Amino acid sequence: MAYVEFSTISKHFGNSVAVADLDLQIEQGEFFSLLGPSGCGKSTTLRMLAGFVKPTTGTIHVNGRDVTALPPEARDIGIVFQNYAIFPHMTVFDNIAFGLVERKLPRAEIKQKVDAALAEVGMTGFEDRYERELSGGQKQRVALARVLVIEPEILLLDEPLSALDKKMREEMKFWIKNIQRSVGITTIYVTHDQSEALTMSDRIAVMDQGRVLQIGTPVEIYEQPASRFIAEFIGESNLLNGTVKEVDGAVSSIRIGTATVTGRLTQNSSVSKDQDVALLVRPEMIRLHALDADEQPKLTGTVAETIYQGSVVRYRIQIADQDLMVEVANRPDLPRLDMAEEVAVFWDADSGVVMA
Amino acid sequence: MTKALAIGASGLSQHQLKWLLVVPLVAFFVLFFVIPVGLLFATSFNPAKVGQVAVVSDISFDNYIRFFSRSNYLMAAGRSVLLASIVSLITLVVAYPMAFVIAKTENPARNTFLLILVLASMQLDMVIRLYGMMVILGDNGLINQIFQGLGLTDGPVALMYNFRGVVFGLVQFALPFMILTLVGVIKGIPPSLEEAARSLGASRRRAFMRVTLPASMPGILSGSLLVFALSISSYIVPALMGGFRVGVLPIHIYQQVAESARFQFGATIAVILFLISATAVAVYLKLGNRSSGGLA
Repeated sequence: MAYVEFSTISKHFGNSVAVADLDLQIEQGEFFSLLGPSGCGKSTTLRMLAGFVKPTTGTIHVNGRDVTALPPEARDIGIVFQNYAIFPHMTVFDNIAFGLVERKLPRAEIKQKVDAALAEVGMTGFEDRYERELSGGQKQRVALARVLVIEPEILLLDEPLSALDKKMREEMKFWIKNIQRSVGITTIYVTHDQSEALTMSDRIAVMDQGRVLQIGTPVEIYEQPASRFIAEFIGESNLLNGTVKEVDGAVSSIRIGTATVTGRLTQNSSVSKDQDVALLVRPEMIRLHALDADEQPKLTGTVAETIYQGSVVRYRIQIADQDLMVEVANRPDLPRLDMAEEVAVFWDADSGVVMA
Repeated sequence: MTKALAIGASGLSQHQLKWLLVVPLVAFFVLFFVIPVGLLFATSFNPAKVGQVAVVSDISFDNYIRFFSRSNYLMAAGRSVLLASIVSLITLVVAYPMAFVIAKTENPARNTFLLILVLASMQLDMVIRLYGMMVILGDNGLINQIFQGLGLTDGPVALMYNFRGVVFGLVQFALPFMILTLVGVIKGIPPSLEEAARSLGASRRRAFMRVTLPASMPGILSGSLLVFALSISSYIVPALMGGFRVGVLPIHIYQQVAESARFQFGATIAVILFLISATAVAVYLKLGNRSSGGLA
């Protein structure tokens, strides 16, 4: 049995289904993300694990123990909230000591543990501050210290970065991941931000409308999305409409307009000849160059728009009646293309993914 | 409005116009509050003269000396503070659970229903409410009949025309104010605070005691302060429920002014009552800052 196991968990609120028949296995020490748009059931899933919400059906096991009916205080789970939930009437020290006081540890031991936790999150010297005297990032650190100090079996993070500004968010992403790695704690991270999930996770479960659509490593989720929804939700994607010309194992030829390109099938998916499909190609996987007279590329297009973004240059390329976004690194060896220029469009056979 | 605009067109700045808009309020406030209270203050420093209402230029501290040298006035001041404190405490204890339930009721219809329940009594004038309470609390009232019927007491228990009766009346009067103040504050406490406490190992009861209750301290303090001020200055409740037998400061003020025509001494008691209230506010604010990490 996995360290954390959801078995046919569902949650109904009145007539609406927040989570439906959820099965999840999370391994010890794993950084696991629940990713999806708001209302997809990811927060409800987390809250069921924390014990704030009782599942309608199913069971949850943690470390071999059935916790489904246990109240939150009996679960040995630490949670960091979106608003950090720092107790406003307590100092930073008392906030971090809260769980230790509840466990009736001797005062000297509490002091020693709180000091160590403060040092671990880089907040030594802030013991006597109150919540209103802390910045967003500092609250985040206190909230994490308060949880880690009780050494819970699982760490739950509920959109902990969404209240921070962009720069702080980038910084905290790596900081949280580093802490998690050094402590080695099993972590479940809820977010609607695909870049956070991709950066931090060992595995990701993509959710929508109360269901898990795909579980996989960031590479699998990004490069072999199981559906158009996932492809469009994770990262930026081009979905070119075409028809299947030929199927050869995991590779198929797709006709787009008058051109024929190849794409590979994801695991467990199959297409048949003459089926209408979409071909997923990520913008950064595409290469462009100006058309040579004696060259006969499979696919050509015209530059419809150029967007200069500093580190990259983005082109909108028109192929027949479809648009293709292309992202090119801004390097001197890569040619700059002009508006209305006719260009050859390439990608590696592996980079095109066929979506039924 | 058209006049204000016309003035604006005639060369007044936006800023000046804005000040013009508060003139009616300020005028009303000055005429009916600042001037009377100022006169009251001045009167308290005039020599005592029965029947004289007008303020004179003589200054005398005799009224204050009289107040502080007579034990019955000092007792009355003490009784007023005690009454207001007891009423604040009882109101708080009775109001908190109700406020908690209202704040945690998310269903809008139920929430509205509970609020109407709380506000309903405020729709009736206090005098009518007090006469209603007399039916319950009197010697032949409902409570005494039940007590005697059950054999709990031999004769009637005095539930009104005494300190107890005034407390009942004031608590009834103060409850909606306390509940509304508390609901606002409890609603403002993020549910994640309690959830954080729970998952850190606190039982429901411990989480309430260590987090929710302290986090609602600003509401507890401001609600108590409001009730304290309302209770200590109430005249009608001690008059009707105490039958003039509970000598709190407002009763003495009434007696001095309306019965003895000693306006100067009545004014003195009024000023002292105001100072007691003001001191209570200062103490509460100080307490609030300490107990809530500066939340109040």
